[in-house]
Amino acid sequence: MTPLALLSGSPRRVAGVAGAVAAALVLLALPGLVNPYLLFQACLVMVTATAGLGLVLIMGWSGQIALSQAGFLGVGAYATTYLVAQGWAWPLAAVTAGLVAALFGVLIGLPATRLRGFYLAIATLAFAELMIRVFVEATPVTGGIAGTAVQAVVLPGIDVDGSRWYLCLAVAAVTTAVVMRIGRVGLGRRLRVVRDAEIAAPSLGVSPMRTKLLAFALSAFIGGIAGALYAQCLSYLTPEIFDMGLLIEFLVIAFLGGVGYVAGPFLGAVVVVVLRDLLQDLGSWQRLVYGLILALAIAFLPRGLASLPARLRARRPAPPAPEPPPVSGQADLTGAAR
Amino acid sequence: MWQQIISGLQAGSWYSLMALAMVLVLKATDVPNFAMAELGLFPAFCTWALIDGAHLSWWLAVPIGLLIGVALSVVVERTAIRPILAENHFATVLMTIAVFVVINAVVQLVWGSEPRKIDSPFAGSFTVAGQVVAYEQLLSIAAGLAVMAGLILFFRTPLGVRMQAIAEDRVTPRLLGVSVTTVFRTSWALAGAIATIALLLQGQASLLTDQNGSGLLIKGFVAATLGGFSSITGAFVGGLALGVAENLAGAYISTSSKTAIALLAIVVVLSIKPQGLFGRHQVREV
Repeated sequence: MTPLALLSGSPRRVAGVAGAVAAALVLLALPGLVNPYLLFQACLVMVTATAGLGLVLIMGWSGQIALSQAGFLGVGAYATTYLVAQGWAWPLAAVTAGLVAALFGVLIGLPATRLRGFYLAIATLAFAELMIRVFVEATPVTGGIAGTAVQAVVLPGIDVDGSRWYLCLAVAAVTTAVVMRIGRVGLGRRLRVVRDAEIAAPSLGVSPMRTKLLAFALSAFIGGIAGALYAQCLSYLTPEIFDMGLLIEFLVIAFLGGVGYVAGPFLGAVVVVVLRDLLQDLGSWQRLVYGLILALAIAFLPRGLASLPARLRARRPAPPAPEPPPVSGQADLTGAAR
Repeated sequence: MWQQIISGLQAGSWYSLMALAMVLVLKATDVPNFAMAELGLFPAFCTWALIDGAHLSWWLAVPIGLLIGVALSVVVERTAIRPILAENHFATVLMTIAVFVVINAVVQLVWGSEPRKIDSPFAGSFTVAGQVVAYEQLLSIAAGLAVMAGLILFFRTPLGVRMQAIAEDRVTPRLLGVSVTTVFRTSWALAGAIATIALLLQGQASLLTDQNGSGLLIKGFVAATLGGFSSITGAFVGGLALGVAENLAGAYISTSSKTAIALLAIVVVLSIKPQGLFGRHQVREV
C-alpha cells in the first residue's frame, strides 16, 4: 500500500495510521528522549509484557490455568546466559533457550490434556517450584544460590542501555505481531473452541490435545525468550528471582491488563513496573498491593483494563456501535465452524 | 530409621490436615483453595502473640486461635469467594491466590520474617524400645487421626450429606431446600479451623515463619492429589506417606532431595494417574 493510498482512507483510519507511526517513532527514538533509568523501566515493561503475551495465549485464549510462566522465564534466562558464555551468539542462544522452554512446556502440558482446571494449576505451580530447586542444584550451569553474571549484549554503534532497549523493543514487537496473527488465523479460533466448547471441539475437526499442547509450547517459548531478555535487564541471575513473587506479578499483569487482549499485558506491565519502582523498598507492602489489585481486578474488572474502551462504548446509549463488543469469546465459535 | 519414620509421620500429619482442609472446601464448594494454608497461618501467629505477648495460657490461647481461624475463613468466603462463584473456575482459583498474597503480606507486615516458636505444655519426650518419641509427635499424629475420623463422621450427618450434594450439583439440592449458603459457610469454617490446627502443630513442634504457609500449601496439595482430591482417607494417607517419604529421602539420599520429592510426586502422579492413587475416576456430565 502506498502512502497515497493510505491517505485516501477515511479520516479515522488516517488518524489511526498517523498515531501508530508517531508511536513507533517515539519508541524508536526513546533512548534519546528519556534518561537511562526511565529507559530501563521501559525495557522492563517490554519484557514483562512479552511474557504476558505468552499468558494471553495459554490462559486468555485456550483457557488453561498455567502458573508456570516464571519457571519458563527462568529456563530461558539461565539457558541463554549459559549458551552465550559458551560462545554462542545471543539471538541463536535466545531462540535455543526458547525451544528448551517450549520442550518443558510440552512436558508440563502433556498431563494438561487430561486434567481439569485446578489440577493443572497445581501441576504447573509445582513445576515452577521444582524449577527453582533445579536452578539451585544445577550449579555448573546456573551458579546455584550464588548466581551467575549475565554478559550484556551490545549492538554495534549503540551503548549498552540503548542496545538493551532495541533488543527488548524488537522482541516485544515481533511477539506482538505473531500473537496478533495467531489470534486472527485458525489457531486462535481453535484455541478458543477448546476453551469454550472442549467437548464439541473434535466434531469441528479440532483436536483439544494437540491444540492445548501447541498453546503450552508457544506460551513457554515466548516465556523463554522473555527470560533471555529479562536476564539482559537484571545482569545477574539468582534462583529466587523466579519464585512465587514473579508469578504473582505475571498474574497481575495478565489479569489487570486483560488476559483476553493483546494490549492487556502491555497495560498490566506498565502498572506493575511503576508499582515495582514505587514500592521497591517496601517488600511486604508491595505484595499486599499486588494481592489487593489482583483481587479487585478479578472481582470488578474480570476482563481487565483492556476491556474498558469496549465497555464504555457499550454503555454509551445513542450511536449504535459498528461491531458489538464480544461479551465472551463465544462469538468466535461461529468462525471456527467455517 | 524408626526415628525418621516417626518424624515423617509427624510432618505427614500436618500435610494430612492441610489436605483435609482443602478436600473439605473442594468437596463442598468446588473451589481449589490456594489460600488454605494462609488461612491457618494468620490465626497461628495470633495464637503465638496471645501466648508470648499477652501471656495467656496455651489452653486459652489455642481455642481463641481456632475461633480466629474460623472467623477469617468465613469472612474470606463471604467477601471474596462467594460473589464470584457464578463465574468460571478460573476466577475463583485466581481469587484464592490473591487472598493468599494478601494474608501473607499482612503476616509479614505485622510480625516480620523472624522465626517464632509457640510454647506448648507438650514439651519433652519419652523412650520406647530405645527410640526417643516426643510428646509433640504423638500430639500431631493424634490430632491428624482425630480430625480425619471427625470428618468421616461429619460427612454422614445430614449437613455433611447436603454438603456432598451441593458439590455434585448446585441446582437440584437447592430445589430440595438445601441452603447453599449454610453449606459453604460451614465447610470454610471447618477448613479454617483444621488449617489453623495444622499450622499450630507445626509452629509448636518446629518453627513458625511467614513461609510456613506456602510450604504447607504445596505439601497439602500433594497429599490431596495423592489421595485423589475427593477421598478423606486418601488425603490423610497421602499426607502421612509424603511425610515419611520426605524424611527417608532426606536421611538416606540427600537433604536437597527432601524438598524436591513432593514436587516430583505431584508432577509424576498427575501425569500418570491424574485421579490420584486412591481416587476414583469422576464422570462429569457434559
